[in-house]
Amino acid sequence: MARVVGGIGASHAPSMEHIYDAGEEVRESEEWQPLFGPFKDVATWLEELRPDRLVVIYNDHMDQFYLDAYPTFALGVAAEYPVADEGFGARPFPPLPGDAKLGWHVARSLVADEFDITICQELEVDHGVISPLPMVDFSEGEGGWKIPIVPLAVNVILHPLPSPLRCWKLGQALRRAILSYEEDLRVVVVGTGGLSHQLTGPKFGRVTPEWDQEFMRLLAEDPESLTRYTYEELIKLGGTESVEVVNWLAMRGALPRDARPLVQAYYAHRIMGYGLQTFEVAA
Amino acid sequence: MELRDELTQDYLDRLRAVQPSDLPEDLDLFDEATATRGRRLNKAAYSLKDEHQRELFHRDEAAWMAQFGLTDAEEELMRKRDWIGLWRNGMSIYVMVKLSGVTNTPLPEIGKQMRESGGANG
Repeated sequence: MARVVGGIGASHAPSMEHIYDAGEEVRESEEWQPLFGPFKDVATWLEELRPDRLVVIYNDHMDQFYLDAYPTFALGVAAEYPVADEGFGARPFPPLPGDAKLGWHVARSLVADEFDITICQELEVDHGVISPLPMVDFSEGEGGWKIPIVPLAVNVILHPLPSPLRCWKLGQALRRAILSYEEDLRVVVVGTGGLSHQLTGPKFGRVTPEWDQEFMRLLAEDPESLTRYTYEELIKLGGTESVEVVNWLAMRGALPRDARPLVQAYYAHRIMGYGLQTFEVAA
Repeated sequence: MELRDELTQDYLDRLRAVQPSDLPEDLDLFDEATATRGRRLNKAAYSLKDEHQRELFHRDEAAWMAQFGLTDAEEELMRKRDWIGLWRNGMSIYVMVKLSGVTNTPLPEIGKQMRESGGANG
């Protein structure tokens, strides 16, 4: 049977792509070390943990899904996931390997659990997936991507959004889906997005480090308390676009209650509150 | 009376929470009002995901714009790269980013305009 062996919460942002693509020297510069240093720790941790699959809970930014038909929850059941062209040409990464069989199982399990997701046999992933992922699972040259993924997209863009409580329950349902899978797989669940940022209006660029750090503390110690926040509160605390943090909450819902935080990093820089948090699960 | 009884307090609380209604005017929301207002503008900017559309934009911006049934006012906002105006008229930041790419406008420049805009309706 499959098991959930760990969790990762990570910001996603085009800026992270620019820095990654600029090369090792920029990544290790004084300016970016506070973020990319901890990402290296996560990569090391992941190498030791040796997961067979990553389930990536993220949100699309109108690169795969558009307003003509916007899914509340969408699940990938493809064998591979090409990188989306977000308007500047796609980043030159090979398609990410998928696991269609696990994807379909998760689809059946979620529907059995009354999460009626949109099922995607084709899905291009944008920076919601591939801004943090190369930092933890990509080797330059021949190696490429190492761990097949199953992507799970949450609507955090077009209100009405699924409530924080609903996203937490989605994570719990995802956990059941993984535990009921027949193959003996070790799965790490990833939630991407946030933390505080405001990209529209006169408060453009507002970052709220105190709230971000409180969010990470609560996610570790008392995640269910976060299900009681409304989007109105989350927007006031972290900004219009910060509501992506519900992807982290869904990730946490897929972990056992006693999962413990391991790597924890926070860096408020320019227009983003960047967060990174991994959870270890007792064997 | 009986029908009203089905609408429990719990349900009514959830219904209220799903639509933030008490945000200060400098914190916005992409919802029914915005998505409805910005329908044409969003479709136009979203098209720039496609490299052929980007090519057309560079070759003949007026011909590119003519595809989306924009109002004269909307076309003017596009032409002037009036980012605040586009935002006020319902353009989502996520398609605005695609327009910023094709017009070579760095996000900080858009941010500067946004910050100087005063208020959501001002």
